[in-house]
Amino acid sequence: MMNSVFSIAREEWRLWLRSRLALSALLVFALLLTATSTLIALRMSAEHQQRTEQQALAEETFLSQPDRHPHRMVHYGHYVFRVPPPLSVVDPGVDAVTGQSIFLEGHRQNTAMFADAGASANIGSFEALNAALVYQLFVPLLLIAIGHGLIVREREENTLAPLLAQNVTGVMLCLGKWIALAGVTLVLLLPLFVMTAVAVARGESLLASAGLIGIYALYSLVWCSLILLVSALVRSRGLGLGILALFWLGAVLIVPRSAVETASSVMPAEGKLEADLRMQADLREVGDGHYAGAPEFMQLQANLLAQYDVERVEDLPVNFRGVVAEVNEADLTEVMNRYAEERMALEARQARFAESFGWLSPVVAVSAGSRALSGTDLATHHRFLREAEAVRFDFVQGLNRVHVEQLDYIIDINRSNDTASERRTRMSAENWNVLDEFNFQAAPATERLTRATPALTMLSAWFLLLTAGGIFVSRRIRP
Amino acid sequence: MTGLLREIRFLSRDSAALLWLGIAVFIAVVSVFLGLREVSSQRTELNNLIAADYREREVEMGRYQDWGEVAYYTFHLTYAPPSDFAFAAQGQRDTSPWKHNIRALALEGQIYETDAENPDFALIGRLDFAFVANLLAPLLLILLLHDLRSAESAAGRYELLCATAARQGSPWLARAALRSSALALCLIGPLWAGGLLAGTDAASLALASLVVVSHIGFWWAVCALMERFGWSSPVNLTALVGAWLAFAVIVPAAIKVSVESIVPLPDGGEILFTQREAVNDAWDLPKDATMEPFIARHPEWADYTEVGQPFEWKWYYAFQQVGDQTVEPLSLAFREGRIRRDRFAGSLAWLSPPALAERALQALAGTDVAATLAYEQQVREFHTALRKYYYPRLFRDEPVSNASLEQRPQFRGTSE
Repeated sequence: MMNSVFSIAREEWRLWLRSRLALSALLVFALLLTATSTLIALRMSAEHQQRTEQQALAEETFLSQPDRHPHRMVHYGHYVFRVPPPLSVVDPGVDAVTGQSIFLEGHRQNTAMFADAGASANIGSFEALNAALVYQLFVPLLLIAIGHGLIVREREENTLAPLLAQNVTGVMLCLGKWIALAGVTLVLLLPLFVMTAVAVARGESLLASAGLIGIYALYSLVWCSLILLVSALVRSRGLGLGILALFWLGAVLIVPRSAVETASSVMPAEGKLEADLRMQADLREVGDGHYAGAPEFMQLQANLLAQYDVERVEDLPVNFRGVVAEVNEADLTEVMNRYAEERMALEARQARFAESFGWLSPVVAVSAGSRALSGTDLATHHRFLREAEAVRFDFVQGLNRVHVEQLDYIIDINRSNDTASERRTRMSAENWNVLDEFNFQAAPATERLTRATPALTMLSAWFLLLTAGGIFVSRRIRP
Repeated sequence: MTGLLREIRFLSRDSAALLWLGIAVFIAVVSVFLGLREVSSQRTELNNLIAADYREREVEMGRYQDWGEVAYYTFHLTYAPPSDFAFAAQGQRDTSPWKHNIRALALEGQIYETDAENPDFALIGRLDFAFVANLLAPLLLILLLHDLRSAESAAGRYELLCATAARQGSPWLARAALRSSALALCLIGPLWAGGLLAGTDAASLALASLVVVSHIGFWWAVCALMERFGWSSPVNLTALVGAWLAFAVIVPAAIKVSVESIVPLPDGGEILFTQREAVNDAWDLPKDATMEPFIARHPEWADYTEVGQPFEWKWYYAFQQVGDQTVEPLSLAFREGRIRRDRFAGSLAWLSPPALAERALQALAGTDVAATLAYEQQVREFHTALRKYYYPRLFRDEPVSNASLEQRPQFRGTSE
């Protein structure tokens, strides 16, 4: 039985190899994929190198600052860069629409700046092609172009009846045709194997790479089953092609954008300026740590005086201005983190909601899963923001510690008397090594796989449903 | 005339064609509705911000004793309100800022801040009218036109039609013309309805309709050209979808890549880095090192450059200004580069009608790169006005008074 199944598949392959349409479509696909993946690979590795260098330069510059008042270093600040993960050569994800660097300084959480999208050439909607997009959009089209006639062609050419008469059941026929189309997807996935192999050579985990290949394989098979199902159901090639074209149009063009529109109206997000204004009111209550004498810090002062059992601030064994800066930074950060976490949680909820449109379109599912596995999704960007914040808080508090413990209070309050007094407040540059090295990595493969699970589930459901439909229809196939 | 009536009758019975037209009108209505809603939510957000900005100013009023503090702590809202036609094309407003809170410190550190929405959303894009008209409509037209002849021969009317028609080509021409215009109407109808609701001027609507019609005309021509090969309808459809991919996806991507490699931009990060270094180095440099370049730009304050204390506000603002001056060449190059990229992309867009139509609609909606750059320029001018307001007060060390605060410049958005 399997022999005749394979001979059906072989026959289909032979037909495609002789068809100029199928061959030229394959050729165009191969060229396109090679061109885009080479360009993206070159760009991403250039970005990788550049951002790594910029990160090293930023650290070097910070450490090589001269002796200064420690609070000056708090405002001098530091930069962190998000280095793209190796699999970004396949799917650059949100890399182009989010900024890649953040300026870190005291008392403020800055946004990531200089997204590529802001300065790119404006040329319409689908402007940035990459390997992931080529797979998501073009593989289905290619499969439709060569596969829409799988069964209906036999029907139109009146070869279905003789086939079914030759001891070939409908299930065998459909299985053979399906294997033929699935074989094409295997060939189409070859470039992806090469790209992920390059990523693995650059240190990407094998698990995430295998997951990425797996999700695209599953996605392609969803289309194979759909095409076969439609081809078995319709009476004319034209109708079949029309239905498949409509499905592609909906799945690729309409549903993803509808998901975005629905998610943003069901869960509206406040603009950053608006949130900042609200936050400003909360921050005012915390007070401004530059003014140690402000009413907000009277309680702190009283507590310290009691703790060290002294009468005057000058008699404290620590620098009161430094203590205020330290406590104030912690309080401000708590407020800022609350707002940041609120925002990120909302964005994550929006993204999850939009992703659930994968039940309506396999394209939505595969693109979400692909970004998650490549380490270029929203969650990775949030991870970058959180890690950057941790670096910010650590070096600012490290510097504040220096302010508390090493800088004498009397010298500190007299800093503005004259140039010589200002000089006395300068601390040794050795203290600047409170700065941690920043080396951004995407989440471990298992975590990324967990994030891709909903997408994989949706695609599996699509596959099982369509395949079950195909089996059901194939049992009832009549000439 | 009878020919046209007959064609309308045929069309009204062709369920596949009605389905494609129905999809077109449905999606166009949805996109216009979503666009109107987006614009109205942007307006509401702006009004809230303007009110909040005003309240914030009231709270800050009277809190500070010297001008240095006033200038340091007061933020000013700047914004570019959506135009009356912005509902049709979101364009750059998705990814480029259209509102900024700025203060009198160095501008280069502030102007590149973004107030972006969820990056996942920016990545996928909006379902706006421009998307429907420029990317979806050609596909729908292809579906409407690819099997005109073969559908007739399948229905058994091909011979009859050829025999009764005066000229061989005319029934096909009339049919294709009817379907193309029907599709154009399905798009333009909702657009005009949206325009009436939004109060768009007729000229913009007429120009936008012209863009839509010409774009559909182009795809009609492509379909007609393909038909000449006499392929079967599946091959015809595949070839037409291939043409769509080429014009709507591949050519724009190629244009983007070539424009960006031919017109390089200075690295954004470098602008910030240089600016920060300049501002921070000033603290350790002799005061003259700041005041000299400052006076070169503002000779009117040459008599007020004495800085006796280790810290004085006028010196602080002077080095903020010098920080901006230091990165001016980079910042200008960044701006010029974006203008050149946009011009270049504009000329190359002639190779891709969908991209050309998209750019045309964005230009009409005031959501193109030029509008973004114009807003950026407005922010720069407003910032200059702020400096102009603060410098006399800082350099002459005037007392802070409410009367004087009243004269502070206010940002006024233009396009509303």
